[in-house]
Amino acid sequence: MKTTRWFASTRKGEEPKAIDVTPLGESRYAVTLDGVKHELESLVLPHGAVSLILDGHSYAVEFEENQDEVKVLVKGQVTRVDIADERKLRMRAATAGFSVEGKQTVTAPMPGKVVKVLVKVGDEVKEGQGIVVVEAMKMENELKAPKAGKVTEVTAVEGTAVENGAKLVVIE
Amino acid sequence: MPARFKKILVANRGEIAIRVMRTCRELGLSTVAVYSEADRSALHVRQADQAFCVGPAPSRESYLNQQAILDAAKKSGADAIHPGYGFLSENASFVRACDAAGIAFVGPPASAMDSMGEKTRARSHMVKAGVPVVPGATEPFKTIDEARAFAEKVGFPVMLKAAGGGGGKGMRRVEKMADFESAWRAAKSEAMSSFGNDAVYLEKYLDQPHHVEIQVFADSSGNCIHLNERECSAQRRHQKVIEETPSPILNPELRAKMGEVAVRAAKSVGYVGAGTVEFLVDSTRSFYFLEMNTRLQVEHPVTEWVTGLDLVRWQLDVAQGGKLPFLEPLAPRGHSIEARVYAEDPAQNFMPSPGRIQYLRVPGGPNVRDDSGVFAGYEVPRFYDPMISKLSVWAPTREQAIARLERALSEYVVKGITTNLRYLTAILRHPDFVKGDYDTGFLARAHEQLLGKDDAKLTEVAMLAAAVWAQQQQEKAATKIASAASGASGSMWRHGRRR
Repeated sequence: MKTTRWFASTRKGEEPKAIDVTPLGESRYAVTLDGVKHELESLVLPHGAVSLILDGHSYAVEFEENQDEVKVLVKGQVTRVDIADERKLRMRAATAGFSVEGKQTVTAPMPGKVVKVLVKVGDEVKEGQGIVVVEAMKMENELKAPKAGKVTEVTAVEGTAVENGAKLVVIE
Repeated sequence: MPARFKKILVANRGEIAIRVMRTCRELGLSTVAVYSEADRSALHVRQADQAFCVGPAPSRESYLNQQAILDAAKKSGADAIHPGYGFLSENASFVRACDAAGIAFVGPPASAMDSMGEKTRARSHMVKAGVPVVPGATEPFKTIDEARAFAEKVGFPVMLKAAGGGGGKGMRRVEKMADFESAWRAAKSEAMSSFGNDAVYLEKYLDQPHHVEIQVFADSSGNCIHLNERECSAQRRHQKVIEETPSPILNPELRAKMGEVAVRAAKSVGYVGAGTVEFLVDSTRSFYFLEMNTRLQVEHPVTEWVTGLDLVRWQLDVAQGGKLPFLEPLAPRGHSIEARVYAEDPAQNFMPSPGRIQYLRVPGGPNVRDDSGVFAGYEVPRFYDPMISKLSVWAPTREQAIARLERALSEYVVKGITTNLRYLTAILRHPDFVKGDYDTGFLARAHEQLLGKDDAKLTEVAMLAAAVWAQQQQEKAATKIASAASGASGSMWRHGRRR
């Protein structure tokens, strides 16, 4: 059977690892990672549940897909795996640019209320510095600067409600 | 004795509304739910026999809307209102409104709530009743010399506190006499700018105490007993995360002593029903009254596990004039631990993660209890507390209870939203927790360790599983295209059905 090469990475920016997958029929596959060959049986059940038998070891695996990555739950550990084939990987390389540079807009991660604005236009901020406090679900959450730079715009107003994705602060 | 209840309105939502309704059903009582516009699809609405909308999403306009809730009670013909915890459960004016409307309130009388409701008032009540409180002054000092003398008397470290308000403003911890004057001035000026009142008092500072609370129960005939303690020191920003009973730091003598004091505290304010007296316990095992919660506590299941009682059933009995069935202290049987499952992301500074639960599988097996208010397909609303469930277990020993809770957590699957399940497991595995030696500073100190590192082997399994998963998705898509092509000459309807 035909072998397909997949590329998996667990963190953005990390070098993806090649995994060769050869179907052996009836949910069974030969998989090779880092030069080690494994035998894997993956029985797909409803709702993203998978019964996995890897070299004779049984794992209850749960998948949750969103956009580019898939969340994989195994024995209480959630691993976010970014999975791509060769074509997808090339396309991604062409449109790359993950580093946090240039103008950065801090947006509301969920609907809520702006409790406190900790910066003003012209402030120099450090990466990770708290800039806005948003309250949602009875909890206060401090949003942090994604990069060091100068605050060029502040649209967040204390005491006002904000929708998911609303622009709060711009840092350049 | 008043007529027996036939119908109970539960003035709450989420897991506690369901918890109360479960007992009502077992007692053959009809239930009435109230819900906000954001909670039309919530589980407690379906659990109840009747349901009334009491207003828009914000709690202030719905679950705290006394008039709307009383109207629902009247319209439904409910005999009593069970307030759960939070919302109106400790609101004396609501208790008076229920009394005026001739509807029983399942909880203490308004006067007992008044006595315990405000911190300084509760404190002076307790002093009068001979209940130990954190050593300190109840009145502000006129001069710094007076304050100095007092600090000397209670012993350093001390905490200076603004009399006019709270929230950490105007608070200064002072380690030694040499630092007293500057701290005094700083506290006073901060108190002035924050509350327009520079009055400052002081208390002995307890360094990372334990939080141990005693469950009490009183009937309207003046009987009151305690049902042992709960250890609640695993807290994050004053929010309890894991609770257990018995407390690993209590021996039978201390338990009896604290229980006796808690009963005295409850009796001194004419308490009726279920209540909890919270204490701080320092490293010398001295204990001090913190506050009294005049309602059913979130963590009441651990007490139910080791006593075999249904506290909601007792609440309803007592509210109907029933007497406590026994008055002797009950020795705890075995050990119970509860973990609070939150829709939040520990890795993102515990940011709440509301959203739709796509899939849910709840643990089971021997001596496992899940008190939940959610279901698969349910959207966790952003307006309320992000707690989705309380998972509790019982076992003969503490060691076995930890192992059992860890096992149960490993069976919990929640998809679609992020939860703190792994964080909870990390707490149970932490050496300090395993030893049973953890105070209220534990979770903050262990924060980095509790976030945990990924296991390399499991990461590899996840990557392999994901690669094969991607492969299988691709195969499925290819099969679909092939079958669509071969079925193209057939009937459109059949084609539609196959998809």
